[in-house]
Amino acid sequence: MSLNEVPNVPVQSFLEVRDLRRDFGGVWAVDGASFEAQSGCITALIGPNGAGKSTVVDLIGGALRPTSGQVLMDGRDITALKPHERARLGLVRTYQMSSEFGRLTVLENLLVGVPDQRGERFRTLVIGKRYWREQEEAVLVKAFGLMDRFAMSEKRDEYAGNLSGGQKRLLEIMRSLMAEPKLLLLDEPMAGINPTLARVIEGYLSDLAKEGLTMLLIEHELDVVDRLCESVVFMAQGKVIATGKMEELLKNTGVLNAYLAG
Amino acid sequence: MSQSMVYYVTTILVYLGVDILACWSFNLQYGVAGILNFAFIMFQAVGAYTAAVLTLGPSSGNGGFQHYILGWTLPFPIPILVAGVVAAALAYVVGLIALRRLRADYQAMVMLVISVIATLVVTNELGLFNGPAGLALIPEPLSSLVSSGGYPWLYVGVTAAICVIVYLFVHRVTSSPLGRTLRATRDNQDAAQALGKDVVKLRLFIFVFSNAIAGISGALLVEFIGAWSPGSWLYVETFVILTAVIVGGTGNNAGVIMGALLVPIAFNEATRFIPPFGRPGLVDAMQWVVIGILAPIFLWFWPRGIIPERRRRFKVPAILLVGSDQSPTRPEMTTAEAKGEVD
Ligand SMILES: Nc1ncnc2c1ncn2[C@@H]1O[C@H](COP(=O)(O)OP(=O)(O)O)[C@@H](O)[C@H]1O
Ligand SMILES: [Mg+2]
Repeated sequence: MSLNEVPNVPVQSFLEVRDLRRDFGGVWAVDGASFEAQSGCITALIGPNGAGKSTVVDLIGGALRPTSGQVLMDGRDITALKPHERARLGLVRTYQMSSEFGRLTVLENLLVGVPDQRGERFRTLVIGKRYWREQEEAVLVKAFGLMDRFAMSEKRDEYAGNLSGGQKRLLEIMRSLMAEPKLLLLDEPMAGINPTLARVIEGYLSDLAKEGLTMLLIEHELDVVDRLCESVVFMAQGKVIATGKMEELLKNTGVLNAYLAG
Repeated sequence: MSQSMVYYVTTILVYLGVDILACWSFNLQYGVAGILNFAFIMFQAVGAYTAAVLTLGPSSGNGGFQHYILGWTLPFPIPILVAGVVAAALAYVVGLIALRRLRADYQAMVMLVISVIATLVVTNELGLFNGPAGLALIPEPLSSLVSSGGYPWLYVGVTAAICVIVYLFVHRVTSSPLGRTLRATRDNQDAAQALGKDVVKLRLFIFVFSNAIAGISGALLVEFIGAWSPGSWLYVETFVILTAVIVGGTGNNAGVIMGALLVPIAFNEATRFIPPFGRPGLVDAMQWVVIGILAPIFLWFWPRGIIPERRRRFKVPAILLVGSDQSPTRPEMTTAEAKGEVD
């Protein structure tokens, strides 16, 4: 074996969830879930309503503490970290319910997306604007770029609370991108919005995946999952029932039955 | 101007300054950061008491008819500054308890309870600030500088200067990314956390900062009126400030000035001219009732107040305009500096 022969390294798993459990007053919403998400692609999290998908995302993002189990990102155990600490490591999530900052404009929503800005530090009070002006300029350039790319420039000064449901979902994704995430958790970003905009958002997600962004996507529509995701994690009743490629899961009729039953 | 007219006008101006400071402070908490501080008046009161005991001199003075701690005689403006520091310290302790959890109902409940406890302590602990009788004969600072006729105007000037200085700091918060992030936590704290904002720390900071202003406002008032007692800071006073902020315009520093002018000031003065009717004290009681229903009425019909929170607009960053076809048609947009961040 020659020295410069590259060993066959398996695809890096960026997120690893180990035996997560979480109960709500005796009801196990997540009951021993383990799976991995590979770096640089979209992993789908599917399953019937009430399967525990959103709870898993809450546990990965840190909004909820697990009763037991671990969350590892990039090999690091982040289970004990608070949500904002995880976000600063590059783990950003969106919510199943739209969660825009309603009384901030579209542009302001984006500006908030960048973590740990100089102008947010308490030193701002003493030093004033010269402490943060330059960084703010860079953040603005980035925000204008995103509005351009996602065709939201016209809505720049609109209050986010006045946007349509679909635009809010899009804004949330854009806001997450302001943070330059290493891992993006998306909880049904296309649910309940008109099909045209849903296709647009799907296109954007596909582009982001091609650019190498690692994503975990909760999605109901199996066609969308089939088009977007290389690997699929299937959950039911708080447990991971199966993982693998979409076609493998489709062959496994037990999985599909469980889905249709839910 | 007659002597009594001077007294009347200057008193109103000092009260206006004090109420504006209080409203800015309350607005930073409620309007900007979304913290409903039901203990607000306690922070104003602790500032007033602090300034009083740092100005009064030993409690054996004046025949020893009142009992209080410290009893120092510090020169202006030290008692006012220390009042701000003491209020900030109290806010830090209260904030550690009340703001640790993000649930708004928990926060409001803790604040209300702390406020009630504070009143009980001050009223019953006679050696602290002279119990229910309160402190009186607090000397006028700077009175040696001018004739007694000019003094009220000097104090109006001092009040105005403090308002300007405080405004500069308040503006630094509301016009910066810090203010924007605080408004984001107000609108959706979970989403803000998911974007890396340390919501508890941010809230604790703004709570300490704005209650320091509340303490300064109380100090400024007590140094002018010369007396302070539990009757000066009934918890309903917090609702007067809340109403002023809601009426004037939540989240807008200028709107809040309007609120201070309309609710505590104009209201108090207007009722002066209502001829007394019914039982004695009825007019005063009616005043509370009207202030009490003003807030819900505004929240229903004009939820954003008389001068609503401004929509922040930004110019296109200069770097994006260079060589683009937009620049000739929009020559004014040559800087990315946020336009109109002036409230
Ligand atoms: N905060 C909560 N309190 C009590 N039960 C909850 C809570 N959140 C979720 N659950 C329950 O946990 C289960 C999983 O919910 P969820 O994670 O939202 O499922 P999914 O996103 O897959 O539809 C459901 O039975 C739900 O009722
Ligand atoms: Mg869900």
